[in-house]
Amino acid sequence: MINKLLFKNQDKKQLIIAMVGAFMGITFLITSIHYLVKVNEFGKGADILGPNTIIVQKKVTNSSSLNLTKTDFSKNEINNMIAESFVKDVKPVISNNFDVSFQTDDPLVPYFRTDVFIQTVDANFLDVKTSKWHWKKGDKYVPLIMPREFLVMLNTFMSASGIPQVSDDLAMGIKFKFKLWNSEKQIEEKVDARIIGFTNEVSSLLVPESFMKYGNDIYSDGTEQKITQVMISGEESQFGLVEELLTKKGLESKNSQMMIGRLKSVVGTLILVVLGISIIAVFVSGLVLIQYMQLLMSRNLYEVRTLMRIGYHPKELIKSFFIYFVKIFGYVAGIGILIFFIFKFFLDKMFDEGGLYIDKGLTWQSLVILLISYVLFAVSSFKSAKKEIFKQY
Amino acid sequence: MKIILDHIMPFPLASIQHGSESIWGNYIELVPGKHILLNASSGKGKSTFTMTTIGLRRDYEGKLTYDGRNILTFSPDEWTKIRQEKVSVVYQDLQLFPNLTVAENLILKNKLTHVYTETELKEMLERLEIDNKWEQKCGLLSMGQQQRLAIVRAMCQPFEWLIMDEPYSHLDELNAKKCMQLIDKRCGEQNAGFVLTTLGDSHGYQYDQELKL
Repeated sequence: MINKLLFKNQDKKQLIIAMVGAFMGITFLITSIHYLVKVNEFGKGADILGPNTIIVQKKVTNSSSLNLTKTDFSKNEINNMIAESFVKDVKPVISNNFDVSFQTDDPLVPYFRTDVFIQTVDANFLDVKTSKWHWKKGDKYVPLIMPREFLVMLNTFMSASGIPQVSDDLAMGIKFKFKLWNSEKQIEEKVDARIIGFTNEVSSLLVPESFMKYGNDIYSDGTEQKITQVMISGEESQFGLVEELLTKKGLESKNSQMMIGRLKSVVGTLILVVLGISIIAVFVSGLVLIQYMQLLMSRNLYEVRTLMRIGYHPKELIKSFFIYFVKIFGYVAGIGILIFFIFKFFLDKMFDEGGLYIDKGLTWQSLVILLISYVLFAVSSFKSAKKEIFKQY
Repeated sequence: MKIILDHIMPFPLASIQHGSESIWGNYIELVPGKHILLNASSGKGKSTFTMTTIGLRRDYEGKLTYDGRNILTFSPDEWTKIRQEKVSVVYQDLQLFPNLTVAENLILKNKLTHVYTETELKEMLERLEIDNKWEQKCGLLSMGQQQRLAIVRAMCQPFEWLIMDEPYSHLDELNAKKCMQLIDKRCGEQNAGFVLTTLGDSHGYQYDQELKL
């Protein structure tokens, strides 16, 4: 009956306008948070290299071919790149300074041997557990990350030999060996190796730093080690600035890496703008709803005052207003989620058709944001109701 | 519950000259169970007395106590209990809800303490000859009918004091008499006292004490 007294004779138009504003804000907020997270996750797990990470080298020009300009990086150049605000980290890619070959060592797989080029990168740039990514002399095997194109080549060889091709998982079970040698010193060694992951971004076999140091210490021919490639990790959504830096410094990278970085940067920035607008929309619509509550209370001053005069506790009236508006925001949130799912269905389809295969799962972040908005609204409406009702006490 | 007005002087009435018997600026005791008449002409502060005594106005000097406690110290919890169980009021402007029906106005009050059944509520209305208005919106009743409804609503709680601010101003003598009988009966059941403010006429009611303004 209190609800009938307080809420029946209200102008529903204003309430509906406030609700529409709130649910639109909520829908855009959930949607933008969801896709911001998804876009940032895009590419994660697909490659063992960490997100927003590229390997760059200096562009080889006619003058560098004639040894007039250098193609290696000095320590100073690396430090200058680290100093940029949009660069998370820069580390040199170290290459082997010794002879090394790679061969199969498994009775189930035909013999295959090739001279290889191995490299090592800092473990922080790899999307792999550090417990797997280490080696010391005496260990059972050297963990290695293989270029996917190498597996394609291996499969072509297998196919030509009439042997079934191998998947990523099966390849990780095959036993391999590295042979390290130095003809001048007349020393050689064979070390077991296992694939622990694949990459599309590096064209050489990646090994742990300790193994590279061991090889270079024992089997190096003594020539100076030059850094011709570096790994750059850029800040989220600031890839455009990394790209600008590369152009300015005359550096180049694989196109695919650049494309993904650029795409993520552009889409991420756009979604950030939408997110900003959504936060403002939710804030404003929340305020409109609170203001509507205050308006409703001011229109019901007589009722509120009289109810207290005949023996109703102010807390009971606060509870009535609080529950009423929390329910309204509940409906708003419910409709917001429903519209989000409809949006998501069409947007996912649109991304798929555009060749952007984004994970279809839900993001907990968008639900947390919804919960935070709900709690903030509930607290604000409670405080507002309390203040207004006690003013009439 | 003993109510004491210890030299109460509402600020708006401070500039007016009050008689030596006036309740304003004097020590007045409202003894439990007594029937008190407050008779004064218009503008002397009858409604101010009502609103001050029940704690709705605080613009006065002096001290007003219930059983020795200054009413300005009561918490919202205590006031709620007092308004539900100790002091019932018939306001001059009635304080009814015009958009609710007669039944809803009574039930809204009665459900706080569940003093009466619906049948008993209807019986009280019948005694005051407004039982046929049960489903009618309160705002559509005449002033006299609304006054009777406000009196019935005031009955719908236990109380030690019933404060009535000109409750019969729109009632004829017969209806006023019927209301007084209802009030007498209810006060008698609970051994409660009442304060009745009237506009210069005692209407022949029996009272134990008369207050002046």
